[in-house]
Amino acid sequence: MSRTWNRTSRVIAGTATALAVLTACGGGGDSAGSSANKPVTITFWGWAKGSKDVVDAFNASHKNIRVTFEEIPSGTAGGYAKISNAVKAGNAPDLVSIEYSSLPEFVSSGALQDIGDEFTEADRAKLLPQAVELTTLGGKTWAVPFDAAPQAFFYRKDLFEKYQVAVPKTWDEFKAAAEKVRKADAKARIGTFFPDDPTTFEAMAWQAGAQWFKAENDTWKIDTTDPATTKVAAYWQGLVDADLVHKNASFSPEWTGSLKNGTTIGYLGASWGAGVLKGTLPEQNGKWAVAPMPSWDGKPASGMLGGSTFAVTKDSRNKAAAVEFAEWMSTTEAGVKARIASGTSSAFPAATALRPVAKQAFDASYYGGQDIYALFERSGASIGQNWAWGPTTGTTNTAIKDQFGKITKGGPTIADAIRTGHEATVAELKKRGLKVEG
Amino acid sequence: MKARTRAAAFLLTPFFVLFTAVMVVPIGYAVWLSLFTEKQSGLGFGGTETVFTGLDNYTAALGDRAFREGFGVLLGYCLFYIPLLIAGALGLALLLDSALARARRFFQLALFLPHAVPGIIAALIWVYLYTPQLSPVVEAMEAGGIGFDFFSPGGALPSVVNIALWEWLGYNMVIFYAALQAIDRSVLEAATVDGAGSWRIAFSIKVPLVRASLVMVGLFTVIGSLQLFTEPLILNKGTGSAVTSTWTPNMYAYTAAFDRNDYGLAAAASVLLALTAALLSFGVTRLTGRRKEKAA
Repeated sequence: MSRTWNRTSRVIAGTATALAVLTACGGGGDSAGSSANKPVTITFWGWAKGSKDVVDAFNASHKNIRVTFEEIPSGTAGGYAKISNAVKAGNAPDLVSIEYSSLPEFVSSGALQDIGDEFTEADRAKLLPQAVELTTLGGKTWAVPFDAAPQAFFYRKDLFEKYQVAVPKTWDEFKAAAEKVRKADAKARIGTFFPDDPTTFEAMAWQAGAQWFKAENDTWKIDTTDPATTKVAAYWQGLVDADLVHKNASFSPEWTGSLKNGTTIGYLGASWGAGVLKGTLPEQNGKWAVAPMPSWDGKPASGMLGGSTFAVTKDSRNKAAAVEFAEWMSTTEAGVKARIASGTSSAFPAATALRPVAKQAFDASYYGGQDIYALFERSGASIGQNWAWGPTTGTTNTAIKDQFGKITKGGPTIADAIRTGHEATVAELKKRGLKVEG
Repeated sequence: MKARTRAAAFLLTPFFVLFTAVMVVPIGYAVWLSLFTEKQSGLGFGGTETVFTGLDNYTAALGDRAFREGFGVLLGYCLFYIPLLIAGALGLALLLDSALARARRFFQLALFLPHAVPGIIAALIWVYLYTPQLSPVVEAMEAGGIGFDFFSPGGALPSVVNIALWEWLGYNMVIFYAALQAIDRSVLEAATVDGAGSWRIAFSIKVPLVRASLVMVGLFTVIGSLQLFTEPLILNKGTGSAVTSTWTPNMYAYTAAFDRNDYGLAAAASVLLALTAALLSFGVTRLTGRRKEKAA
């Protein structure tokens, strides 16, 4: 088509038209792809570890669907902006990775489509109820949960032994341990306060029983001054003020540098962190161990830190194929195995039946052969059921992050930062025309 | 005559086509976007509806403390940065211009080189040099008893000013140096004959003669400062520093669009910033124009 056109075209002024014709040809190719014997081609954007391996494994074993994978920066590092811009521009991929915390925001901006008809009740029953709950909004199903991300405490076993520090079970013990670590080595700290990452703090509040967002009838109720949040904020303020933890951005060169030289000897993270540590610090093989998150009363309790879902964008014409691929990644043995066997992922599947598969596929020698999946299993069961994310996570977390960066002795406190986040959230909900109390 | 008009039209067309496509249309689109807001109902899970809200986005931006504080930061930045920049660039240019300077070419190139580094790379380099535990600079300062936290609230402005100075000092030095070279040598010789020393020549003869380029650099820097974005954004994203995501008005617009998904607000903030820049440029050109007339 464009060839005949080119033959007739002899003027330079035709450049614009030529472009239009090229685009039209590109568009035509799409509809040809979905006809008859040819496989359906879907595109998938994500950043989780092992995604590429999963896509390759899927393409190798499926003839009806071809997945094109594009790795994007992680959500808050620019991935979400990329997705929303693509949706706005009308050239979004079919399937995208979205963390639980940001799902309501994408749903409320109208970027996704309801997948309840493809991802049925029976499918959902295979998954951790908390994860299903977080992907069901306004009575509709918006995403296929992939992993649950129970919190976990990673620590340098060798250094804890050397400094004679017992692994803390409660937050009181954690503070005592932090003091002991600093006493043993003036430069070393037990962990890090991440000023760039409000979600770590939110997971702590979640663990303590906070519930920032509550949907009642048609009204959002926002509460960030509940006893649980107040307690967690005061506790971390205490650790920061007493210089018992480092204050570094998460996954920054500064943070990794301090892990490498042994001046940070613990990491309050989540299940997926096991793979990240292993990938970041291969030379510390065998030196790390995992413990349950310290809790307030010593009983198992956990929030969720991160954890991703797969959602279908609103203009995708390949919903069935996209959901089939998403379900394959989340709920089949082959899918989970392909990801974990890549060696970089320690994801804890939301699909309860597949955890033994994940456990088997994960090489735990880095953790001295410790059964970390059994630990995640216990923590996963203790994930608080009440927490829900609001539809303004971008606004809420940006506001909190901005204030976290300013925390200094005598300056703004963690509680101030949360208050600013609260106010920004309420203002944003009002601006969008939603009813809000709090 | 007709042929000339046709030639002019032909030669100017590419400019106007590009100007329309990359300036006029986007600005018009931004103004258009700024008049709409995405509204939701219920809990907000039923999708959005784009509603005409008139100037609401403008009042929202102006009513937001973070946006207004951005202009305050810009003001502080200009007051801190511009005197340092001009004094530094002029001082270096005078040194190079003085007969004493050796290896003139080498210094000229060495001082100009940082400007060849893209702003984003410069910011990344400096973030590394600011980071405690990684940076040899911070380590050396600590060893010398200076504990300065570049990421603290008090350190944010100096950190950004320092990056900007590093990038722009050499560039402006070249402008001043060129102006100094253009000074009629006989004037300088006359001054020497009259018994003026090099200091006297520098400050009583050379500096007054390059005043025009001083004013020009000052203007361009003020207007350029309004666009302050890349360096503080890197400080905001990669570190837990006190540079907030709405530190400058440009960053405010960026955050509104890409973190908060509020394109209307982002467009309104951008239009307000553009208006400020336009007013400032207009005022400043008028002012200097008048001064020139008076001088003449």
